[in-house]
Amino acid sequence: MSSPEDIARARQLKELEPLHEAWSNWTHARQSLEETLPLMQDPDPTMRTLASEEFTSLTHTLSTHISTTFPSLLVPPSSTRDLHALLELKAGVGGSEAALFLLDLLRVYVRYAGSVGWRTSIIQSSETESGGMRDAILEIKGEGAYDALRWESGVHRVQRVPATESSGRTHTSTVAVIVLPLSEDAESMSGNDELFKMEDVKVEVMRARGAGGQHVNKTESAVRLTHTPTGITVSMQDERSQHQNKRRAFQVLRARLMDVKLSQDIANRRATRRNLVRTADRSEKIRTYNYAQDRVTDHRIGLSLMNLTSFLEGDGVQDFLDALRRNWQEEVMEDVVGESE
Amino acid sequence: MPSDGITAVKQLFTRLVYSLGRETATRELKWMKQALIASHSPTLAAMLQRRLSGEPLQYILGTTPFGPLDLLTRPPTLIPRPETEDWTLRLADMLTPTPVRPLTVLDLCTGTGCIPLLLCHLWPPGSTRAYGVDISQHAIRLAADNAARCNIPSFQPAPYSQNVFIPVLGDLRDPDVFKRLLPPFDIITANPPYIPKREYDKLPVSVKNYEDPAALLGDPPDSEEQDGLTFYRLISKILRQKGMLRDGSIVALEVGRAQADAVEGILQQSAGLRNTQVWKDPWNVKRVVLARA
Ligand SMILES: C[S@@+](CC[C@H](N)C(=O)[O-])C[C@H]1O[C@@H](n2cnc3c(N)ncnc32)[C@H](O)[C@@H]1O
Repeated sequence: MSSPEDIARARQLKELEPLHEAWSNWTHARQSLEETLPLMQDPDPTMRTLASEEFTSLTHTLSTHISTTFPSLLVPPSSTRDLHALLELKAGVGGSEAALFLLDLLRVYVRYAGSVGWRTSIIQSSETESGGMRDAILEIKGEGAYDALRWESGVHRVQRVPATESSGRTHTSTVAVIVLPLSEDAESMSGNDELFKMEDVKVEVMRARGAGGQHVNKTESAVRLTHTPTGITVSMQDERSQHQNKRRAFQVLRARLMDVKLSQDIANRRATRRNLVRTADRSEKIRTYNYAQDRVTDHRIGLSLMNLTSFLEGDGVQDFLDALRRNWQEEVMEDVVGESE
Repeated sequence: MPSDGITAVKQLFTRLVYSLGRETATRELKWMKQALIASHSPTLAAMLQRRLSGEPLQYILGTTPFGPLDLLTRPPTLIPRPETEDWTLRLADMLTPTPVRPLTVLDLCTGTGCIPLLLCHLWPPGSTRAYGVDISQHAIRLAADNAARCNIPSFQPAPYSQNVFIPVLGDLRDPDVFKRLLPPFDIITANPPYIPKREYDKLPVSVKNYEDPAALLGDPPDSEEQDGLTFYRLISKILRQKGMLRDGSIVALEVGRAQADAVEGILQQSAGLRNTQVWKDPWNVKRVVLARA
């Protein structure tokens, strides 16, 4: 059995690994460079060519270390790196077309999660008659899922001709996405931790059952939680089991409360720092999917990718996530550098 | 599925929407599809057809959730209700038996065995020995099947490290039935039939046409009293028998709407249990009378 101290130490070691690796690569490259220099004066021309190629590649390695590798080590390890994620999707303007687009986006995230090896399940959904979804909550279980996906929060806008539109007119519809942090034990129904106190949560079952008991054998499993201090309410009805719905509802409640806490942490930090860490305004339009131009644009970083199909059916979302992560790292880096000035 | 099958499903679904409302019908359809994937049951159309004629969803799907358990349901044995689930969970939370201080449970009118099975599931291994008595062969067979499904041994002698649930075929009116079950009991639970005849006549089709009348009707037809309380009087007599309870034993009886006060009175007067209390269900109906010996 490993003690908590062992685990903490192992984690610390693991966190130092990138630093260690960068430093040994750096020293190794420097050493090789020193060894290469005399060879550039070698009487043998083949040797001189080899040495000069080696020289070019080594100087390149060293300069990337200075320009990227070392600075990126300044980005403190994320405090949310272990968290799983809940994705809440809500159809916005655009009626049934928005509901259809919601389904397209949902598939993108499910496929992406699968490719990373994360487990997904749709814990709530309300389907529309036209085969779309008005809203959905996707659970993504996998360490790092929250950190990887949190940039997806915001309004996603689609511009396309709906399959049902005979006149061929382009419609604009939107889907709002919120990525919530999910901890391992989020389904626990006991409270009294840093997120909430049990006495602050009102648990209600929905719909009247008349006499109830033996008189009624209708399935009635819907549950609603209200967190009184924040007014957050969560309703769950997708499972046949009330017990299960309650567990799910607590899971969502915890995720929302943790989200509030994280946003507060960021706001507090921002108040004490002069730089701005990316604001996460959920009503902000972050991305446009334009079918006529076969293009996806992320408005925050001004990145456009051609080939919508690769986004919707391939792994195009990865490119955005990578770019957004780099962008964020740079911001944090500037922040850290700015602080030490 | 052939295309005419799909049209049939669509039509049936539309009718189900009409009878249950869109939201409920959509959810039920989803659960039927899930059950179809899980088993080799008939077609979706057949399931919808049965649902439309009023058959309870739980009989069509063959299972019902009960707390964290997923129990088998078979007609005509009464389908476990969410109200029962709620108070059983609450009872389980109230007590913490251990292998060192194990508890003996007697569940009267056990039906599917839901109450003792949930207690056996939630309490620590080796802490609980439960009996469930029912007059119906169907119920006893189903209770045994459910025990197997929940990995809870239903035979003696079971390994000491496990909880045990033993279904027993027997009639509450038979005074000897409890003798072979090793009283005294630490906990006696019951959800006996409690519906008065005049209310029974007005029950929804899904209850009246599908669930065993003997699981619902509170009084024999020839009884003078038609208040649905005959079983509580009978149970009080059983509780009064010497050696059934010990000091501190707990009795938990589910009751129908507006019966709690009367049942509390019966327990106090004819069973001599003065220390009583009433629990409400999540829908705010007085649902359980609890007594401590
Ligand atoms: C309302 S059901 C309760 C079943 C189960 N405990 C539950 O909560 O779902 C009542 C049960 O009592 C049984 N029963 C009816 N009369 C009985 C009797 N005289 N002796 C024993 N059991 C009886 C029925 O067969 C039925 O299973």
